[in-house]
Amino acid sequence: MTVPPPDLELVITGLGLVLPCGDGVKIARASLASGLPCFTDLPESLGHGHGGVCTSFNPTGIIPPMQLRRLDRPSRFAWVAVHQAFQDAALDPKPIGERVAVAVGTMTGGSEASEAFMRPYLSRGPEGASPLMFPNSVANAASGHLALAFGLKGPSATFVDRENATFTALDQAVHWLLAGLVEVALVIGTDGLFPLLFDICRGAGMLARHGDPEVGSGRGFLPGEGAQAFLLESRVHAEARGARPRALLRALACRSTPDNTREGRHRALSGAIVDLGGAPLDRRIGGGNGLSRLDTLESLLARSHPDWPAAVHPKGLWGEFGGSGGQLFAAALLEPAERVLVTAPASSGAQYAALLEEVSLDPR
Amino acid sequence: MNRPLNRIVVTGLGIVSSLALDREGTWSAMLEGKDGLGPLTRLSLPLEPAQIAGQVAMNPARHQTLCERTALRALDEALDGFQPDGLPDRIGIFQGAGTSGLPVAEAFLEERLAGRRGRATESAYQSPSTVTDALARRLGASGPRGTVMNACSSSLLALGQAWERIAAGELDLAVAGGAESLCRTTYAGFSCLKAMDPQKCRPFSRDRAGLNLGEGAVQIVLEPLDRAKTRGAAIYAEVLGYGATMDAHHPTAPHPEGDGAARALAMALRAGHLEASEVDLVSAHGTATPANDGAECLAIRRALGKAAASVSVTSTKSQFGHTLGAAGAFGTAAAILALRDQVVSPTLRLEDPDPACDLDCTPLEAKARRVRAALVNAFAFGGNNVSLLLRRWEGS
Repeated sequence: MTVPPPDLELVITGLGLVLPCGDGVKIARASLASGLPCFTDLPESLGHGHGGVCTSFNPTGIIPPMQLRRLDRPSRFAWVAVHQAFQDAALDPKPIGERVAVAVGTMTGGSEASEAFMRPYLSRGPEGASPLMFPNSVANAASGHLALAFGLKGPSATFVDRENATFTALDQAVHWLLAGLVEVALVIGTDGLFPLLFDICRGAGMLARHGDPEVGSGRGFLPGEGAQAFLLESRVHAEARGARPRALLRALACRSTPDNTREGRHRALSGAIVDLGGAPLDRRIGGGNGLSRLDTLESLLARSHPDWPAAVHPKGLWGEFGGSGGQLFAAALLEPAERVLVTAPASSGAQYAALLEEVSLDPR
Repeated sequence: MNRPLNRIVVTGLGIVSSLALDREGTWSAMLEGKDGLGPLTRLSLPLEPAQIAGQVAMNPARHQTLCERTALRALDEALDGFQPDGLPDRIGIFQGAGTSGLPVAEAFLEERLAGRRGRATESAYQSPSTVTDALARRLGASGPRGTVMNACSSSLLALGQAWERIAAGELDLAVAGGAESLCRTTYAGFSCLKAMDPQKCRPFSRDRAGLNLGEGAVQIVLEPLDRAKTRGAAIYAEVLGYGATMDAHHPTAPHPEGDGAARALAMALRAGHLEASEVDLVSAHGTATPANDGAECLAIRRALGKAAASVSVTSTKSQFGHTLGAAGAFGTAAAILALRDQVVSPTLRLEDPDPACDLDCTPLEAKARRVRAALVNAFAFGGNNVSLLLRRWEGS
């Protein structure tokens, strides 16, 4: 577990959001408050079916048109979210570029470009392959584009740990900050939809087939896309530059299970929560998505903790993948609260829990 | 950087390579000047001009990718029968991934393009973290996990991550490394970027013309020094720290003056509180692409200053090809064994050095010499640079 010491309390001073409900914090807040799912018919380019598509995504005035053409969806979303986060934090990163870290979590990064690269290659051989597509086929393409766009020259890592990749990224960013390697860390969750993703999820029987996913139903999820950007720095650093925090990251805990059974995952997630400590909560954000593998863990938690407030499950509104856990962390920042618990179950690997305090909506 | 709480040592090393399926077989072949490059047989890509690759003598199994198989084999060798006791949640697994489950996804896409359903079981998607999970299962580990996908610097960053967690006192043991298998996406991708040499690659050579791709796995066991001593573990080397930077220069090309790479090297030295004059070896990224090798040598000169003149440089790409996500772990393995045996493995086919690579790049033959400390480099698409610093273990 990572608990920043009192003299190194870490705060979130910048937030940027690109979600199926639209771009920006206000729209996201309204979407979460409404409880209305944001799934739509897929555009033709993504195949058929439903998903959490960022239909109103608008990079105009943020991403230069020449650059836009070279970016895959996760990079586009991340660019706009990061732009928002730096604006929100009132921070120009370029003068301190070498002291800014970038940690990205993604489930789908690189996959859209891989598919776009391989479809013509498999059909027509080498003459069908586009050298413009291939560079985006790596999961860390987004971090490279962000480095160029914002002059970021510090350490960078991209993680692909299933539903919780962005929590792994957050964990890494916290370590870099606590080690004194950087002044500021940018944590980003980003995902983009692509046709093969729907094919695979449908074939594996994981998709909600009739209407929107219903958390707790076990009938399946719907994929979503989007990006969330969080700017982290020490409270001391934030205060020194006159920035007011959106929230304090009190603690982050992760446990895993070697056997990957339901019981093992439940034990790991419960253990992570115990690690955080047991003070009363105002709000709880959960990682239920409509698929029993995650929903069961959330319902077991709710049963074990009847005193907890009912969980809000953002994946039921915005979809699975869309930020690889970043959407949960973002949701925790969208209502004022003294203490918010985020539980992030995963289908395998590390189970995460995070505790946020002093959540403020309008820090300035 | 703050001083680490613990000293961290390497107590296990497993290698599955195109030279041999074990550590000592691989190392002795490297020192004998053998390479693991040969005609491409893993993939059938007759229209590709380059038909050379470094392939391991193993195949994927049903429901198990080649990456997973080689990674598990390397882990078994690294553990050498040791089954960690103590708290399983203080054991972490950190892996660098590259192609990972891509061959499975390619096969599925091919089926779909042919109008067939394909076998779209959930495992068909083969998330890169599948390998990380498999290693955790084998080890009974329930601590933190991380699957880094920083392209070609993935596994070196994973090693840095493992070091960081043990140094902070959070873990008693970590396994870090990487596994890679050939697949059509990367093969075709590097080919269409004109980055592949149709002949065997020639790092640091004047006529270098690109890389060959390779596959394999390296797994490394890291522990705090006091725990390793208590259990009487064999200690290969000490890990002193790492550096990581971004170029912010170009999506695929390195900074021509090695700016970001030099900063990563300097950051690793700072993390390890070591002087440049104490470094005797750089296990280089050394891809043999025209853009990389000169910029990397410049970066080494910038970071080490006068000490660069007496350092040995070597590239494992000349033996194994570019193992992408596992490349940093392969470079680390070569550095660890050089520190152990006080001999530097050669850069093969370096007959006509590029004047831009004016360092001692260990041409053609292994070189016995004092190796006190070693830096390992791995650079990646996106201008991502990582350097790891290791020191010889002398039993004190």
